[in-house]
Amino acid sequence: MPDTRTALVNLALLLLLVAVVLSSLSMGTVQVSPLDAVTALTGKADPMTDFVVKELRLSRILAGLLSGAALAVAGCLMQTLARNRLATPGIIGIDNAATAFAVASVVGVGLALAPSAMALAGAAAATALAFGLAGANGTRGYRFIVAGIGIGAIAGAVMQVMLSRVAIDAANAAYPWTVGSLNARSEQSVQVLAIGLVAGYLTLLAISRALNTLQFSDAVAIALGTRLKLTRILGLALSVLLTGLAVSVCGPVGLIALLAPEFARTISRPGKVPLTASALAGASFMVIADLLGRTLFSPLEIPVGIITAIVGSPYLLWILLKPSKRSLT
Amino acid sequence: MVASRSLFPPLFVAGFLLLIIVLASLVYGAGPVSVSDAFAAVAGGGTEEARFVVTELRLPRTVLGLLTGLALGLAGALLQSMTRNPLAEPGLLGVSAGSGFAVAVAILFGATTATLTTVVAQLGALAGCALVIAATRVQGLGNDPVRLVLAGATLTGLLLALTSMLMLMDQRAADEIRFWITGSIAGKPLAMLQATLPSIAIGLVLIVLVARPLAAMALGEKAAVGLGHHPGRIRFLITVTVALLVGSATALAGPLIFVGLVVPFIARAFSGPDIRKTLWLCVPIGPAVVLGADVISRLIAAPAELPLGVVTALIGAPVLLAIVRAGRMPSL
Repeated sequence: MPDTRTALVNLALLLLLVAVVLSSLSMGTVQVSPLDAVTALTGKADPMTDFVVKELRLSRILAGLLSGAALAVAGCLMQTLARNRLATPGIIGIDNAATAFAVASVVGVGLALAPSAMALAGAAAATALAFGLAGANGTRGYRFIVAGIGIGAIAGAVMQVMLSRVAIDAANAAYPWTVGSLNARSEQSVQVLAIGLVAGYLTLLAISRALNTLQFSDAVAIALGTRLKLTRILGLALSVLLTGLAVSVCGPVGLIALLAPEFARTISRPGKVPLTASALAGASFMVIADLLGRTLFSPLEIPVGIITAIVGSPYLLWILLKPSKRSLT
Repeated sequence: MVASRSLFPPLFVAGFLLLIIVLASLVYGAGPVSVSDAFAAVAGGGTEEARFVVTELRLPRTVLGLLTGLALGLAGALLQSMTRNPLAEPGLLGVSAGSGFAVAVAILFGATTATLTTVVAQLGALAGCALVIAATRVQGLGNDPVRLVLAGATLTGLLLALTSMLMLMDQRAADEIRFWITGSIAGKPLAMLQATLPSIAIGLVLIVLVARPLAAMALGEKAAVGLGHHPGRIRFLITVTVALLVGSATALAGPLIFVGLVVPFIARAFSGPDIRKTLWLCVPIGPAVVLGADVISRLIAAPAELPLGVVTALIGAPVLLAIVRAGRMPSL
């Protein structure tokens, strides 16, 4: 049966994304009209515009698109697995740990692996710790989240230790990561992220039916033919992969992983896990936040992590403080 | 009926530990002064250099650490008892962050005097406390410790992001603000001490006043009213006390998280549920924890030093995990 609502929602989000990308290509310290930006993309503009659009902005926007989409999918996945809308990588400390590890590779403490690999290792370690401490597959809300706050705090402290122990140049090089910025990206991490995102997304599409059954109780999901353990482990591994790779590009911009799936769930058809919608929304949010950071106080550039924190935190507070009969525990 | 536990043995042990830690704080350091020289300086002799390091650098720092620990430990115990939430800690709930943010704004507008900074920090803490109290009044939130803590963490994140933004705007202010928000008791001017002492003293007097009614309130609001107390008034007094104490501590050492969680947690392990005993035990334990963390922060990375806030986070986060791990959330 064709699902018109999902198709419409995804189409609308795609249009939003195109509009956001176009305005981000054209706005900045050098203003380019959207039409010129498009001509530059097809390679027929004057050299100046061509340079600004293609060399400066396009790669940055691509990095934003990919990392936003990866974070949003990871968040959506983890919410589904833990049956808890607050269980996103940022809240349970995964991106802090990934950042700490990535910083370690930049400042040269420990193994000199590439940032992507180190970020992945950090994300995996934090996830294992959070789920291990929480027990019960993370489906018991409160422990999971408080464990995550603790893990995040430890990772943050370790990061400060590392930054305070190295030369000031190395510390400055690692600083953008600690707040979340698209400035610090390396082309290599972006390529790795692109491959990981495509592979992860395709795998998720393949198991989307199983994921949809996770919203029921374990017994019902098993009765519907879901191999529960396999689905959980695969889903968790994918969300760790996506978070780690995204963090190695943009740092801990964790609130994207909460906001985008929330938004996608609101507008999508209930009863399905809105993976595609989350990815599109996450990509748009990230590019918008970066655009705001670049233009709001130009020539000063506000890191994208600060923008998402200022915009996203009030929303998270509202979710938390809203009187509701449903407790997290 | 739980047998009433004697207060004096743990109090004595904690006091003894505190003495050792104070001595360690005077003797050990990242600098080149040897331990035996420092000992001699503490005893009154020693070389010129050792005497200078001990009396001019380490002694003020030790006093600062003592006061910070005292204020944060007591504030944590009060807040936890009042909200009946074992995770209610000024740092986790965003009270310290409110105070720190207020100081950052004040620095941005050019505030330099110690008194002004202290007052601003206390006002910030008061605003933070008021937010926490307001949040506990929201239906369902008061008895859901985790939601409250997560809300506090979110508020802290928001205020930190705003602080980073202030720091981007003004390079001069950024250096000064960075000095505050990492949490450290090294190299703080003594004027800070004079500025905060009165409010800490007032805070202690207020604690003496509210301890009995607070213990009665642990029996339930109706019982407290029956015993002739006014819960509303008590809550107001406690809020002011916590704001005074946390504001002073932040002015002295920057926003330190987890101290207000660790100290009452240790104290309760020995005192049982009676808030009066807990408060007494917090008096030696709070300074011991902060000073101990400070000594560690000097030694672990010598000859450099770690920020104190990093060490308290490394000590405190496992305690948080332990509380959560302990099967059921312990109720107060």
